[in-house]
Amino acid sequence: MAEKAIGRDIAPPDLRAKITGRARYAEDFRAEGMLFAKLLLSPMPHCSVRRIDASAALAMEGVVDILTADDPMMPEITGVGAEAALTNEPLYEGEPVLAVAAVDETTAANAIEAIRVDFEPLPFVVDPLDSLRPGGPNARLDGNIQWREGQTREIREFKWTDADFDAAGPDRLPMGEPQVEWNVGDVGDGFADADLVLEETILHQSLSHHPMEPRTCMAYWQNDKLYLHASTQSTARTHAALANRLGLDQSQVVLVAEYCGGGFGSKISGAPINDVAAILSRKTGRPVMLRINRYEETYIGRARPGFQSFAKMGFRNDGRVTAIDLYIVQDAGSYGSSGDFNTAGTVASLSYQPESMRFRAVSVYTNTPPRSAQRAPGGAQIVAMLEPIMDKAARELGVDRLAIRRVNAPGPDGWLGANQGSLSSCFAREALDIGAEVFGWEEKTQLSGTRRGTKSIGVGIGVSPFVGGSRGMDGLLVIRPDGKLYIHQGIGNLGTHSIADTARAAADVLGMDWNDCEVVWGDTSRNLPWSSSQSGSQTTHAHTRANHAAALDAKAKLQEIAAGALGGSPDAYDCADGRVFQSSNPGRGMSFADAARRAIEMGGRYSGQELPDDLNPMTVASATNLAGEGLMGVARDNYGGDGSIWSWVMGFAQVEVDVETGQVDLTEYTGVTDCGTVLHPRSLGAQIHGGSVQGFGQARSQKWVFDPQWGVAFAKRFYTARPPGILDVPLEMKWAAVDLPDPQTPVGAKGIGEPPVGAGAAAVASAVADALGGQCLCRTPLTTDVVLAALTGTEQPYRPLETHV
Amino acid sequence: MELWRRAANPWNQDVLIGISFDLMWAALIAGVVFVTAHALWVRRLATANGHGDDAPAPPGLPMRILRHTFSARAFHWLMAIAMFALLVTAFFPWAGIQFPWVTIHWLAGVLLILTVIYHIIHSTFWQDFWSMWVGKEDVETAKREVKRFFGKEQPEGPKAAKYPLDHKMYHHVIVVVTFAAVLTGVLMMFRVDTWFWERNPYILSDAMWGVVYVVHGLSGVALISLVIAHIYFAIRPEKLWITKSMFSGFVNRKDYLEHHDPERWAGDSPRGQLPEQT
Amino acid sequence: MAVIRDMIPPCELFQPASIGDALNLLDQYGDDSWVLAGGLDSFDWFKDRIKRPEAIVDLGGIEELTGIRADGDGLVIGPMTSLTEVATHPDIVGRFGLLAQAAAEVATPQIRNQGTLGGNLAQDTRCWYYRGGWPCYRAGGNICYASAPKAMNAEHCVFGASRCVAVNPSDTAPATIALDAQMVVTNSSGETVYDAEDFFIGPGIDIERMTVMEPGDLLTSIRIPGTWAGADFYFEKIRDRQSWDFSLVTVASAIRASGGTIQDARISVNGVAPYPMRLDEAERAVIGQAASDDTGIAAGDIAIRRAQPLRHNAYKLPLMKNLVRRAVRAEV
Repeated sequence: MAEKAIGRDIAPPDLRAKITGRARYAEDFRAEGMLFAKLLLSPMPHCSVRRIDASAALAMEGVVDILTADDPMMPEITGVGAEAALTNEPLYEGEPVLAVAAVDETTAANAIEAIRVDFEPLPFVVDPLDSLRPGGPNARLDGNIQWREGQTREIREFKWTDADFDAAGPDRLPMGEPQVEWNVGDVGDGFADADLVLEETILHQSLSHHPMEPRTCMAYWQNDKLYLHASTQSTARTHAALANRLGLDQSQVVLVAEYCGGGFGSKISGAPINDVAAILSRKTGRPVMLRINRYEETYIGRARPGFQSFAKMGFRNDGRVTAIDLYIVQDAGSYGSSGDFNTAGTVASLSYQPESMRFRAVSVYTNTPPRSAQRAPGGAQIVAMLEPIMDKAARELGVDRLAIRRVNAPGPDGWLGANQGSLSSCFAREALDIGAEVFGWEEKTQLSGTRRGTKSIGVGIGVSPFVGGSRGMDGLLVIRPDGKLYIHQGIGNLGTHSIADTARAAADVLGMDWNDCEVVWGDTSRNLPWSSSQSGSQTTHAHTRANHAAALDAKAKLQEIAAGALGGSPDAYDCADGRVFQSSNPGRGMSFADAARRAIEMGGRYSGQELPDDLNPMTVASATNLAGEGLMGVARDNYGGDGSIWSWVMGFAQVEVDVETGQVDLTEYTGVTDCGTVLHPRSLGAQIHGGSVQGFGQARSQKWVFDPQWGVAFAKRFYTARPPGILDVPLEMKWAAVDLPDPQTPVGAKGIGEPPVGAGAAAVASAVADALGGQCLCRTPLTTDVVLAALTGTEQPYRPLETHV
Repeated sequence: MELWRRAANPWNQDVLIGISFDLMWAALIAGVVFVTAHALWVRRLATANGHGDDAPAPPGLPMRILRHTFSARAFHWLMAIAMFALLVTAFFPWAGIQFPWVTIHWLAGVLLILTVIYHIIHSTFWQDFWSMWVGKEDVETAKREVKRFFGKEQPEGPKAAKYPLDHKMYHHVIVVVTFAAVLTGVLMMFRVDTWFWERNPYILSDAMWGVVYVVHGLSGVALISLVIAHIYFAIRPEKLWITKSMFSGFVNRKDYLEHHDPERWAGDSPRGQLPEQT
Repeated sequence: MAVIRDMIPPCELFQPASIGDALNLLDQYGDDSWVLAGGLDSFDWFKDRIKRPEAIVDLGGIEELTGIRADGDGLVIGPMTSLTEVATHPDIVGRFGLLAQAAAEVATPQIRNQGTLGGNLAQDTRCWYYRGGWPCYRAGGNICYASAPKAMNAEHCVFGASRCVAVNPSDTAPATIALDAQMVVTNSSGETVYDAEDFFIGPGIDIERMTVMEPGDLLTSIRIPGTWAGADFYFEKIRDRQSWDFSLVTVASAIRASGGTIQDARISVNGVAPYPMRLDEAERAVIGQAASDDTGIAAGDIAIRRAQPLRHNAYKLPLMKNLVRRAVRAEV
């Protein structure tokens, strides 16, 4: 029998193309008569367009057309606070105002330079707290928050009182009326029960996503059908979102997105800017390429919302958390409805299982680039913020820092969030134990605070849970007469190997050699099923299930066909090595190729002429196109399950902080995960390490800076934004997995993309605090200036709540 | 020739940031042209109608008459030093001669302000404040000068009081230009490090700053022309007696009688007397 | 005029093969010319269309500007020598290791392969207000945005501010000062030799330039005298991340000591002023003293004596002080 595909290192099918450069990303496509477009970006953080004079630009040779927000062909974008691709009221510096198409990019750029736009400056705000002040500026003309009540959403003006601000003073978070509040138990009682209460004002900055591939797109139309090459994380969901935005039927859109040079949450279902290529192409009747450069990407490429917050935690002598009182002011940016703050509250409850908790938050619009999910949205921020407080508590209580995590970590019966929901599985303590062993916590913790020359050693732990799955997606596969298994994936190839790794579930159900499996992905003309979006680390869980279900459907059909042809009951048949055969007499059976031919002859449900009625219309359309081409396995994931699905990464870091310079060297890192069954070890290691590296940047170096006078961004180049480089990554990085299956999902696997970020960030933040003798600096990033000021006891370069620095 | 320097501010708005460097050269040329033209004109005039004065001296008139007190002279020369320093530090770098000029410039500006304040107080309370006032006679003199310029024979006089009309006019132009330069200069000191306050470039809007820089620039270049003219007159042979008096304080009896009307001078004097005698 | 960034506009590129031809081109185009060495500074400006020279004169084809050769007991380095070569050349590594170390700390291996010593020395400041195309003093305007009360100036200067508060970002510059190097600047009227410390100028002297070089000038060689060959060197660059990052503060020193006593010393720092600073007073304070931590502390205190921090960069004082201290102490 073929070796199981799950649990092995198998090179993904796109690997060669990526390494050799054959992989074609959106920017690599060309089409006959293709035009190039360039954008004109708003120079101001908030303004309105009074007048556009493009006459000189349009008179230039080679300039073909212009697209503005007023163009009748532009789709109407509805929804509260929704973001159009072009606007007449830019809400942040760098927001696209118009686009010009020309025969080449140089001409398009020169045309943009020749356009005069008369902008009227409007009031702007970059610090959420400024907007909450009575009389403070609003980021939008109609208000500064998105109010949600039931199904109602509206932009409202939301202000605190002078008394709120006065009560807090300059350096503590003012806590006026919250937009959201929930309570579990009574925090008053919780604090009364506590032996130790800690209180901190914590700042977490916003962060750009910085994917390597900017959100370039190329579009052309054939008859009434749009072909779009784009950089996106998801395929099915982007296809649907695109059709929806442009008011097209899904059948009128072909999305080609086989490769994605990173998204990290910024390209979940495409990007608004795709509209520009699509509409300009329709308008000019020619293909249009809109290459987004790094400068533009930093503006339109999304960012993680920053938090200004207050955390108060109560502890019993053994380290058990009795109460958490959390108040988060979220910087919601100019667009988006990021729920980071809510997730942060949920994560805090899950990580520490407090006996009581109060969560309050307000999410305030600012005139800074749009926010969206970024790899563990809300989770990565809150663990980086709270873990150093756990360390401080451990220190004050004389409890081991591993022990304090262990005593608070949930077991399978853990709860989370306002509704105290349950979990599908949880092996957090096991992950901590393995981590302690792999990292060598016992010995390493002895090094804490010791010196190596001028360097002070610190070790830290980061406990980081994040959502790891969803349910109810569709699987679609075909065994063709060539005997191969074609697994169609509506999920996007966002760089995680999940297009291949989730397909392994189908191969293993059918006992198929992985070499006889073909993964079909990345082009909606290739008949892809409805899928989850590639976000929230859902994919591994959702699509091992969907592919498992589709494979079971195929297996049942194989068994029926074999039993029909060779006699006996279908149950007496099994599948392996490309054959369906009698279990009792393996010699009696038929090849999948023969079965596929028979399925085609038999038609009906066997070859996809009849389909289950619970499929998504997209799957139905794809299956219908594929009908008659082989034996079809198609099914919705109806496995069900209780509780929400969460994965964990426990990060362990060792740093050396030079006490004379503030320089932090990260010398060792270990990440240990509970993400259920391991599908693909090497890829899992890459996720744990890669995500952690993003976390290192979040904790240490990555900046997001605005000039407060002008509301204009500075950290918009790699060298000023400072995401970590390879030299900032320790030479020694280890990983491990608990590798215990989630009992509520057939393959047992959960997602892993997101939790490593918070683990990396929190472990480093804790380790730095440890090297400083337990001093929680309570802000990110812990840049050299901040660390050195703490070491030398000089004034901190920034006030505790000073943001965008 | 460009008149203004403009720039795109951080919001890409077109803003005025100052006068064109060309205006410095224009002012220089204007100064030289005026001086040359005047020199030629005076030469022609001198050959056409030279005149002497043989009015009788009032009794008791000393040999030397005090025209500028020590404090007035000290003021003048300090102000001159400040003005030179300001012009050199302002315009040499524009002309390509680079050196660390900013601190000297604002220090000289401070010196200028101090001398101006001193001068205002001194002239108001201790000096013959009204002596700089342009009176009826001055207007009459001016009319005659103009007519004479166009070749019409005019009777002599009236003679000047303490200060001739051209001095008064020059003084008033200098007052206006210096005030403009000083007031804008003080604002501009918010843009550099000084002893007085924290830097803050945002005390005015970009548009207001544009005006400030343009006024400062215009008054600066105007001073180039004015100073050229001033020096020119100071070294003209027929005016040297005045220049000398700015060193020594005194004019001699001959010059006094030739150029001034003692009655009027006395009228300008705060105590309504003849000038101090030595 | 709307703004386009990250895209080089068409321009004229000249690739002369000799210094003479290059100088002719520079004279011909004057202020509208641009000298291109490795391009790592230049291309940023071109891509952002903030500097739009008419004629770009690429020195890459001028052989006489490349290479390292012995000159008496010193070395002459062509300004177009790559930073990688400067970092690895045996003569530099062996006798003037300070410069090799400094070159090795620049940016990334790729940038060091492409970047040149001359370009690194003559590079423009990285003040993000200025680099953003804002009309500041350095850009010919009349305002310094970086010193405004709420400005983002953590990476700006603590010494030498004169309207402009930018810093010199060069890693190799302080090493050349510590090694008492000389810069040979050539233009059509001849050659001028500057001591390294005079080669770099502050905004007080000319706010729009970082070095003495004016349009029409070329840096044609860097002379390293034998004076400091084989001395005890110390170089350290502090930055927020370990690759592709400009320094917050850098120290470079050359010290000669015997019997634990410092006989002679040259110490230079960068990242604290608009020009790399030579710390004459600190040097004088350590000469004749024991090469100890105490001497280092004293030198560090002297070094930061007249510093004037901005709102966000006071951390540069302890940082600079400690780096000077380490440079002196490294002797121990």
